[in-house]
Amino acid sequence: MVLQQPLKKQPMPNKSAKLGLIVYCSVLLWSCTSMKKFSSNYFYENEQTLTTIEQSYKKLYQDNQFSVAFTDRTFNNISFEIITDSIKLIYEFEVTETRLQDTLVKYKFPVKEVTGLIMQMRAVKCIWINNLDYYSNQQKRSLVYMSFRPVTFRLPFNNEKYYTLTFYAQPQYFDSEGRLFATRQLRKHRKINDEIFRRINDRVCYTVSERFR
Amino acid sequence: MLIFLMLGSIAHVFANENPLADTTPLSTKKQALIYLEKNKELAASTFWPNVPPVFFLQNLKKNIDNPLSIYEGISTNFCGYAAFSYLPLHDDPLGYLTFMIQLYRNGKAIYGKEYFEPSKEVKLAAGTLSFKGELDIRPADQLWFLALADHFKGYLNFFDKQYHTGDENKLWACVNFAKFNRMVRNLFNYQVSAIGSDLFRPGIRDMYEYLANKLQTGTVALLVNNVELFKRNHNRLKVGIPSHFIILLDVEEVNDKIAITYWDYGFKSRQLLSASFLGKIIFGITTAVKKTTHAQ
Repeated sequence: MVLQQPLKKQPMPNKSAKLGLIVYCSVLLWSCTSMKKFSSNYFYENEQTLTTIEQSYKKLYQDNQFSVAFTDRTFNNISFEIITDSIKLIYEFEVTETRLQDTLVKYKFPVKEVTGLIMQMRAVKCIWINNLDYYSNQQKRSLVYMSFRPVTFRLPFNNEKYYTLTFYAQPQYFDSEGRLFATRQLRKHRKINDEIFRRINDRVCYTVSERFR
Repeated sequence: MLIFLMLGSIAHVFANENPLADTTPLSTKKQALIYLEKNKELAASTFWPNVPPVFFLQNLKKNIDNPLSIYEGISTNFCGYAAFSYLPLHDDPLGYLTFMIQLYRNGKAIYGKEYFEPSKEVKLAAGTLSFKGELDIRPADQLWFLALADHFKGYLNFFDKQYHTGDENKLWACVNFAKFNRMVRNLFNYQVSAIGSDLFRPGIRDMYEYLANKLQTGTVALLVNNVELFKRNHNRLKVGIPSHFIILLDVEEVNDKIAITYWDYGFKSRQLLSASFLGKIIFGITTAVKKTTHAQ
């Protein structure tokens, strides 16, 4: 006769640990969906301002090549890159510093327009604006690349994600899921900075990335 | 074993007796352009089916005319190979061209102490890399970088030794500090002095003085933490490891800061940094000095 051993009482998981796990998973799920929502809605909510920034930058870039990056979370410091024929000059300024205006004068930038652009970028939390060259059918083309820091909740120790918009001069081609194609003929997804981009409209695409440049 | 040791010592004696045997090969841009002209009828190579000879030669000419224009491409791990290309393109363009044309024509070639015979996968990939900016239209640079990454292996390449599509962005193409120095020594025969490592910074008290002195003796390459240098994210927690090679061209004290002029991504840049920040981002310093008969 085999005596059945009494079942061992399973240790009850700590209630607070259980609750913590549920909260963590919910927040993770929420942060993922909020990022997606942020990506799809952000452009339309700020379309006019974003298009103005893109157009102003393109116009200024035609005369003087440059890029602007906000280097801190408080949007007080910028890295201003001036691209000449032979060298790229990288300056760091506080946004309100007179040194910025002196430098703009020195390199013959229209001070009011450039500072205006920087302030517009600051208002919409645009971290980085740049002109990026790319090649399509062996032809050089360029796009305007803008990155944003989304104001969403982020779990501790999780890397920040950035919302990136690319503005093209020509209408682009996409697959049925809205992913950017390389060309009309080449049905291969175009990657920019090693990221696949998705359609917002024919000339504007977005992605979410761990780096803003 | 004894025979092997004896042969080794004999080879060493011969190397010392012939002073020309241990000099850095040098040539001029003019010599390189003449050689290129002689090879202008280069036929399409069966070894490199995606590299048309016309574009290959055009790319080589661009590199000789403007050595700073060589471009590692967006998102690739070719920065180490691009940085060390600065040396042959400036000091021995003929040696570089001879190797490239032989490699294109025969599918194999010798450069310095190294014998190259790239894998079939690499030969098929050269000329097809895309979405890398200007590298898309530089098939000779694609061939050069892929052949180098295929040939030289370091500990970072341990888990990814065989090329697969897209590996140019992955560990397969990575260059660690020791590998960088080995490549410079073995291919171009410079006298290489290196300080620093892949994980720990060199303990240099006065970085400005050190770099300024090194620049007077030869070509200086730096292994830097590019996430810090280019500020690619605003993360509070940052991993302090280096991942980018640049060529230092000039260093200058400006008020309380240091202005560094460097080459990377096909262009010269000048940036003003604090001494402490500069010390924080530099992990390795390599100085390549030309070996001359007089120096021996």
